[in-house]
Amino acid sequence: MTPAVKKPYQRWALTGLAALSLLGSAACAASPTPAPGAGGDAANAAEPDTAGSATGDYADGTYSATGSYQTPGGEEEIGVTVTLASGSVSDVQTEPMPSNPTTELYQGKFSSGIAEQVVGMPLSELNVDKVSGSSLTSGGFSDAIEQIKGEAAQ
Amino acid sequence: MSPAGQWQRFSFDAIGTAWHIDTPAELSADALAVIVLAVEQYDAVYSRFRPDSLVAALAGGGSITLPPSGEALGDLYRMLYRLTNGAMSPLVGRSLEQLGYDAGYSFVPCGGPVPAAVWDEQFEWSGSTIRSERPVTLDVGAAGKGQLVDLVSRALHDAGYPEHTIDAGGDMLHRGPTPLRVALEHPYTADSAIGVVDLQDRALCASASNRRRWADGLHHVLDATTGQCVDTVVATWVLAGDAMIADALATALFLVPPEVLLAEFDFDYVLISSEGRAQYSLSLAGALF
Repeated sequence: MTPAVKKPYQRWALTGLAALSLLGSAACAASPTPAPGAGGDAANAAEPDTAGSATGDYADGTYSATGSYQTPGGEEEIGVTVTLASGSVSDVQTEPMPSNPTTELYQGKFSSGIAEQVVGMPLSELNVDKVSGSSLTSGGFSDAIEQIKGEAAQ
Repeated sequence: MSPAGQWQRFSFDAIGTAWHIDTPAELSADALAVIVLAVEQYDAVYSRFRPDSLVAALAGGGSITLPPSGEALGDLYRMLYRLTNGAMSPLVGRSLEQLGYDAGYSFVPCGGPVPAAVWDEQFEWSGSTIRSERPVTLDVGAAGKGQLVDLVSRALHDAGYPEHTIDAGGDMLHRGPTPLRVALEHPYTADSAIGVVDLQDRALCASASNRRRWADGLHHVLDATTGQCVDTVVATWVLAGDAMIADALATALFLVPPEVLLAEFDFDYVLISSEGRAQYSLSLAGALF
């Protein structure tokens, strides 16, 4: 749901948050489902400023929180507002609050490109064995695209 | 690789992507030969980009007999055709050609989108036999590479390498006791990740509409009922027991809500919509940033 509020190095299980995320994008779901699995992690992340228990039983209302995360240029903040209606997330808004130009660039990119909710972490900062994506396309497709680009440039 | 240092890597390019196979011990010459043969044979049967492939014979209609693995592929496609109301179809090849993704890689659209032929009684995929009364361009790109990864995995197992990781550009399969940590590549910035998942004894397949893209608004994930590119989803990842299922579901998630597929398949997923929202399964082991 609101990964942006998390400190990148605080890895969290997705389990508790998944239901909220599903509801956050319920536009493409056939019918909104209740959020039975939304557990303490989600509550802790959002730090609701109105009533709501931390065990997954949320009162309707608007919850706002400010999250911070570390960047090479220092700590950055991002604001998140979640609206609950009938126990479901009806809206999620994020507000970038960059304090340095690099972050401003990146947060701007995310809000117009991929996401307010999902942010990127440089692979160089991650300890992983593999990367899963489709950028490694090689052979016919990328060769052909490169060739076309080359011809277009002539 | 996780147990860094000792593992051996065998890399090659095939079926339009880079392959990396990691094993605890170096592959024998016999094992290498078996793998290369499996890949070559699969390509010779299913490639839409080779005029001499077996499926190319359907360009004039007719009947072909696939290897035994063709049955599982056909059954999966038939099921997903039903679940997506025809949006995911092996008959989508003609629609892709229309948009320029053709055997000659022209990348020049021949005109507006054309819907794929309907999978009706004029097209039959029964067991490992395909019979078509019409000319069709078969495209198994949504699940074929995954199935090939499974076949290579089986070959590795049979050759004495039960523990391995196969990475075939977006399709990954892990077999063994030591989990891998896998970053999910950011769809728009390839040097960053949107999350990390643990992969053990499962497949992880990715699909992204922004990668195989050749012109504004044109990419390889189509709705077969319209022949148009799908733009409501930008990237998906699926974890499932085998790579054929994971590969196919990664595409199917572009076409129907996850709930439709979860009713029939056991899998985890991450989906990034074009609005930038992440959706993921309850049981996913990992983290999003």
